[in-house]
Amino acid sequence: MTLADVLATTGPAPASEVAVELTPILDESAKREIRRAVLTAIAVPGYQVPFGSREMPVARGWGSGGLQISLAVVGDDDVVKVYDQGEDGGVNAANLRRLIRRSEGVKTTTDAREASVIQTRHRVPEDELIADQILVLQVPVPEPLRGIERDMNELRRMHAEADYARMWVSLYEDIVRNGVITRTTGYPCLVDGRYVIATTPIPRWDVPPLHQAKFLSLFGAGREKRIYAIPPYTDVEPLTFDDVPFEVEEVSEPCRCGLICPGDEQGAYLVELPAQDGTSQWVCSDTDWCTRHRVANGVLGSEALDDADELW
Amino acid sequence: MGYVAAKGGFDAIQAAETLVRRRRIEGRSSWLELDQIVDRLRYSVDRVMGEGGLWDEQLSARAFRQAEGDVIEAAHLIRAHRSTLPRFGYARVVDADEIDVLRRIVPAFREPPGPQLLGRTLDYTGRLLDQTPEDEGRRQAAEAAANRRERVVSTQVSADEPTVDQRVPGRLIDVLRNLDALVDRRRDDDPEPVDISRVAARPGAPRSARLSTMARAETGALVQLWYRNILGPDRNLHEVTLGEVRHGRLPIEVQNPLTGETVPIGSVRVTEVEAIEDLDGVEEDRTRFDVGYGICLGHNERKAIAMANLDVAVDRAAGDGPLEQSVLMTTDGLDASGFLEHLKLPHYVTFRSMMERKTAMREAAGTKRQERLAQGRSDCEVTDVSGDAGAPVEREDVLR
Repeated sequence: MTLADVLATTGPAPASEVAVELTPILDESAKREIRRAVLTAIAVPGYQVPFGSREMPVARGWGSGGLQISLAVVGDDDVVKVYDQGEDGGVNAANLRRLIRRSEGVKTTTDAREASVIQTRHRVPEDELIADQILVLQVPVPEPLRGIERDMNELRRMHAEADYARMWVSLYEDIVRNGVITRTTGYPCLVDGRYVIATTPIPRWDVPPLHQAKFLSLFGAGREKRIYAIPPYTDVEPLTFDDVPFEVEEVSEPCRCGLICPGDEQGAYLVELPAQDGTSQWVCSDTDWCTRHRVANGVLGSEALDDADELW
Repeated sequence: MGYVAAKGGFDAIQAAETLVRRRRIEGRSSWLELDQIVDRLRYSVDRVMGEGGLWDEQLSARAFRQAEGDVIEAAHLIRAHRSTLPRFGYARVVDADEIDVLRRIVPAFREPPGPQLLGRTLDYTGRLLDQTPEDEGRRQAAEAAANRRERVVSTQVSADEPTVDQRVPGRLIDVLRNLDALVDRRRDDDPEPVDISRVAARPGAPRSARLSTMARAETGALVQLWYRNILGPDRNLHEVTLGEVRHGRLPIEVQNPLTGETVPIGSVRVTEVEAIEDLDGVEEDRTRFDVGYGICLGHNERKAIAMANLDVAVDRAAGDGPLEQSVLMTTDGLDASGFLEHLKLPHYVTFRSMMERKTAMREAAGTKRQERLAQGRSDCEVTDVSGDAGAPVEREDVLR
């Protein structure tokens, strides 16, 4: 079966069939190479490990790094969740999920609590992840210092010598000019007191859960051929000053789903749904989490939850 | 466990695929045969092989057809196909002097050693749009095909066929060396070349990494980088004089794992260029020339020429300035176009974060934002999911 056949396949494929019709998209020696790079990354938290990134059936910049890591680390028993912007149903998430499933024959889920490997773009699940879970983050730009320096040799020197002075100066200037630190997503963080990393474009809301997390975070940048990691129970400190607290995104409107609102200890990252008339609603970006809470709350019927295996 | 809405994206991409397939397979014309593509869309097939980094005309034609004529998309298909294949071994290192030339020109001399063999080139064809009626074109093609069959039957070799000596000419670079007109950058050791499909090359990488990066690079990217440096603000290179421009076949040989003998398994066509650089830097040997090198799969002279000129320019810069990084990091077609097109992906999580900072900046600047927000809801309550979100936010003021 060729990739074209796979991509041409219509209709849902039961897990049992998938198991016999696998279409590998990465050869085994490449997976071994990637696992080695992952191990190096875990051994040196926050260090960007170069690796021989392969071309994937998705374009570079579309999750090719995360995809390679997922393909390399999953085994037969793994259950994989793929989501994008917090949404399992997004087009890119659906495509990547399908490719992983067809290539490796693993089970997939939308429930972060059931997944052993979670590939994500731009979000960390709202569910509290536990040990043994692996979070694979798709990274468009792995270099946290690129905004202040373009020369790659100089960037290597800065990381090697932990010379982040210009980063601090840029944050300081930001406050002086704008009154606040204007960094949005991908907030720079110091990992294990040593390397500054780009937290990919996850919102600042998702940064605190990375600190001393029970789970392993793997960052894959396919286009730039870099892998880095945050091992479990590792310090992840957003760069800020003692007298300028780190700020996450705040919303003072309630979520459409009703149960959740900012400031609540069960708060979630909300995104805006603007309407033509200038009004807008707010919803949690983590759709599976939101749905579960709406069902639990009686707002939605239990039919809103379904067996993911029947979906694709 | 999941939720029903998760199916939306899957349905959408399936629908998109159906639309793609409909025109690709059904079409409104007859099926496009691979032989036709290999035979008649030669430059496209060569570009797909070159930028895909795989010599296989049939596969490239297949990719080109699937990509509906988009060269970068076709190169992507080829490279993704490569990723599925294990690597079994390596061919014997081939000496470029073993080339069997189909075309060879030496602009630097009127009568160089070996032939000036114009060969098959579009250079002097006259760029006039051929408006031969279709029927006439078909008739000519059929006639030519019949003549070709006759030629094949006849065993006589035409007197015009080039001899072996003409086909395997010496190099101008050797003439210049004998005249002591070149700086000698040759090295005595024989380091393993960097395999850019296995190693992430970055500035400071050996020359082999730079050359193989450019050999797989997107043609337009190299041309643009070259021209930008000629005419644009960067000024990192100036025009070279071409010493060799060749298009020919190089033999591919592997070692038989059982007998240990070297066995020919075919050949690849390459374009090879040697570019003579006039050294004019203060610290350079102004009494001599230097030479840049370019080679790529298939017939693609503009790529090989840009590559040769950029090669020597990077070497002359000796790590100073941005050119090396530009060559190594920015010329890959898949990298650049993939990243460009990723902007089409949903970005509403990040955009929301950006909006929040805009608000925060205004707040910090002493706008009345805080007051507006205070009018909104501040505590948790259950609202109807059917659409009523409670009091609408006064967005006009938020955005102004």
